[in-house]
Amino acid sequence: MKKLHFLEVEGNSKGFYAFFALFGLISLIGMLAAYYMEHNGHWVTGMNNQIVWGTPHVFAIFLIVAASGALNVASISSVFAKTAYKPLARLSGMLAMALLSGGLVVLLLDLGRPDRLIVAMTKFNFVSIFTWNILLYTGFMGIVGVYLWTMMDRPYNNLTKKAGMAAFIWRLILTTGTGSIFGFLIAREAYDSALLAPMFIIMSFSFGLAFFLLVLMGSYKYTQRDLGDYIVNRLKNLLGVFVAAVFYFVVVYHLTNLYSADHRDITLFILTGGGLYTFLFWVVQIALGSLLPLVLLYGPTGKNRTMIGLACALIILGGFAQLYVIIIGGQAYPMHLFPGMEVTSSFYDGVVASYTPSLPEFLLGMGGVGITLLLVTVAVAAMKFLPASLADEVANPHSK
Amino acid sequence: MWLHLNFNFSFNSSFVRKSLQRLPLFVVGLALFASFNTVSASQNGLGPEITIPESSGESCVLPSEQMRREHPDILKHDRIQTLREGLRAKADGSTLDGSLKQCVNCHAVKDESNKFVRIDNDQHFCVSCHKYAAVSIDCFQCHRDIPEGSGDFHALTNHKNINYSNVVPGTYNLTIKDMANIAPEVNSDDN
Amino acid sequence: MTINIDNKNNDETTTDSASKEMESSRRNFIFGSVAAAGLTVAPGIMLYQTANARSLSDFSLKEGASSKVRWGMLVDTTKEVDWNKCVDACNKEHGLGNETNSRDEQKTQYIRVVEVKNKGTGYSMSLPVMCQHCESAPCVDVCPTGASMKRADGIVLVDRHRCIGCRYCMMACPYKARSFVHEVLTDQTENTPRGKGCVESCNMCVNRIDNGQEPACVEASDGAIIFGDLNDSESSISKILAKHGGKQIRADLKLNPGVFYQGI
Repeated sequence: MKKLHFLEVEGNSKGFYAFFALFGLISLIGMLAAYYMEHNGHWVTGMNNQIVWGTPHVFAIFLIVAASGALNVASISSVFAKTAYKPLARLSGMLAMALLSGGLVVLLLDLGRPDRLIVAMTKFNFVSIFTWNILLYTGFMGIVGVYLWTMMDRPYNNLTKKAGMAAFIWRLILTTGTGSIFGFLIAREAYDSALLAPMFIIMSFSFGLAFFLLVLMGSYKYTQRDLGDYIVNRLKNLLGVFVAAVFYFVVVYHLTNLYSADHRDITLFILTGGGLYTFLFWVVQIALGSLLPLVLLYGPTGKNRTMIGLACALIILGGFAQLYVIIIGGQAYPMHLFPGMEVTSSFYDGVVASYTPSLPEFLLGMGGVGITLLLVTVAVAAMKFLPASLADEVANPHSK
Repeated sequence: MWLHLNFNFSFNSSFVRKSLQRLPLFVVGLALFASFNTVSASQNGLGPEITIPESSGESCVLPSEQMRREHPDILKHDRIQTLREGLRAKADGSTLDGSLKQCVNCHAVKDESNKFVRIDNDQHFCVSCHKYAAVSIDCFQCHRDIPEGSGDFHALTNHKNINYSNVVPGTYNLTIKDMANIAPEVNSDDN
Repeated sequence: MTINIDNKNNDETTTDSASKEMESSRRNFIFGSVAAAGLTVAPGIMLYQTANARSLSDFSLKEGASSKVRWGMLVDTTKEVDWNKCVDACNKEHGLGNETNSRDEQKTQYIRVVEVKNKGTGYSMSLPVMCQHCESAPCVDVCPTGASMKRADGIVLVDRHRCIGCRYCMMACPYKARSFVHEVLTDQTENTPRGKGCVESCNMCVNRIDNGQEPACVEASDGAIIFGDLNDSESSISKILAKHGGKQIRADLKLNPGVFYQGI
């Protein structure tokens, strides 16, 4: 096995400037959209008193969940001592921080009063799972930061395993916390399930690794560095397992909900009568986001980089659809003020709430993705995150 | 295996590097620019003018000097008591009424057409000073900015015979030093 | 240069007048600005009288909301009442309906009339639903900043000074009692401050209760809504509840709301 050698991406290059400008522009548009929303108030969005969390939350929660999952590769390397993943650990940690930053920016800018961030950081209600999430997010940043440091600063390499273990445990708690934001809502039948927290963890594995693999293949392609089949095949096989696991959880989740009478209505709504939500569930989440990627990853196209990239993109698309169905579909279905009775009112009781995503919401969400990728672009140019080569003779610990 | 592992923070991007190198220069420039502006404001006759509006009512709940300095704390103290603890000033005047409602009732300013000016008007009592001091407040995003109805304020029953007012309403040119003397000691977060 | 002060707090404050004097000389702003700007200030009212200085404690009141009391309401849905009168009274009291841009599904409603129909029997009824002022309020539990709060006397309300507009409480409320302000508001009523970016809901008219009045909807209900102290067995609401009973909406959630209904 050849020596591993980390090297910054050449910043003074057309490629760097092009990506910097592209992601910068997306981020800028996102920030302008946020300013527009905040300046006018949320009436310019599709959100209302029934659908209180809209498209920005879909993006924010996707990015936060993916952040936790992106750390997976580093965890496998440090915690489970798989040397094959060691060259990827730095990118994994950095991407996790970038994804979390992007997600938090979207979450923050969608607040009614983002100017009061200081209140959220100083006045805590420790009964709230939201408060715990704020602490978990900031803690994640700190711990992963330290973890990266121990990886990149040679005198501290001996601490990597410990830091990696801390980061691994922290990220499990973090995703449990994110899932529990929904799981703790007793009144909403769509969310009233202990299964949500573990499902969010497995979702994070899948979305995070898909994002990681896309970034890895993209950055190696555009910097003309070697990326061998050995590492890519390992990652895509792992990704396939995660996708299948998410699929399994989704099946169990809906089956248990169908079985219990008080959750049957909402489940049938999502599965059969929910219009857009039903379409998103079956077509985008299940067919395009779960089954097709499995075919692409494990079928005859399994070694084709384009097809692997397509599978990752589909998994991410399916992930967005899944969160859209969970977050927005779950709110759209009416709560039962009087179970078993027909209820109507001026406040839209008893009817499926309407929600049409607005352009600013979507742009704000994309801005979060842009910020993530902008951070990644600058980071790989500024510091030694990427190995100069991941050709098989470097990456494969068993090669001679 | 770890051959090339010195932890150096070298930017390969000349764009990023140059921007970072120029950052201190930019900050210094900004500071200089700001200080010039402030200096010119401090010279009498050149700077912005402040108009202290007249107030209805005989006196404020505290002497003006104290109000100028302590009104943020008093308002905050009162809002916590009122909202969270349900402690409200009674109409009998047994306690001081530090509610924003009462402030607005006394200090509302009328324009030439005898109408109360709203918070978007520079003559509004709070705005007149806060704009001068460049301290933004968000109280009136929620609170009513002018008295309700006719605007006849409820008399401050507990200090009818005191005359605390020692500032003649009018337009002044204040120095930085004056402003520093008036400025409230804000020792807690604004929210 | 003496100023006659009719101030009952005088005695308390003179004790620390020495320290106040130090402070006040530093604070004698007007003296400084007079010199600087050359203003004319009427003689005799220039200097700062230390005895006048009062502190925050003079604003402190003795009695606030007490946990001995639990305010509640009892709605008799069997009475022939036009519940919209309650809605109108509420809107008037709190200055609701002043949105200009919001769509209907974005506008604030503190109280709404809900029509309930039993599909099997065809029986239908209507009732007013507002914040149910739960004892274990989910909105209070989930609020990250403690803006959503319960007063000692059981009234659940939003501290808009702390609300960051995350809307988690709206997700958590089983009664859909809360609204989010979607736009810049002007011309609020003086007793109900409300503005863009904060969540709000029925506050049982705290300002009226603290002033010894009944909530606006109770007043407008022609006796169909009774307001009172649930903890006081002698109050009329407690007596009626003890004799005729009352139900809470979604009692199965065990949130123990402070709003009871008869005839549901």
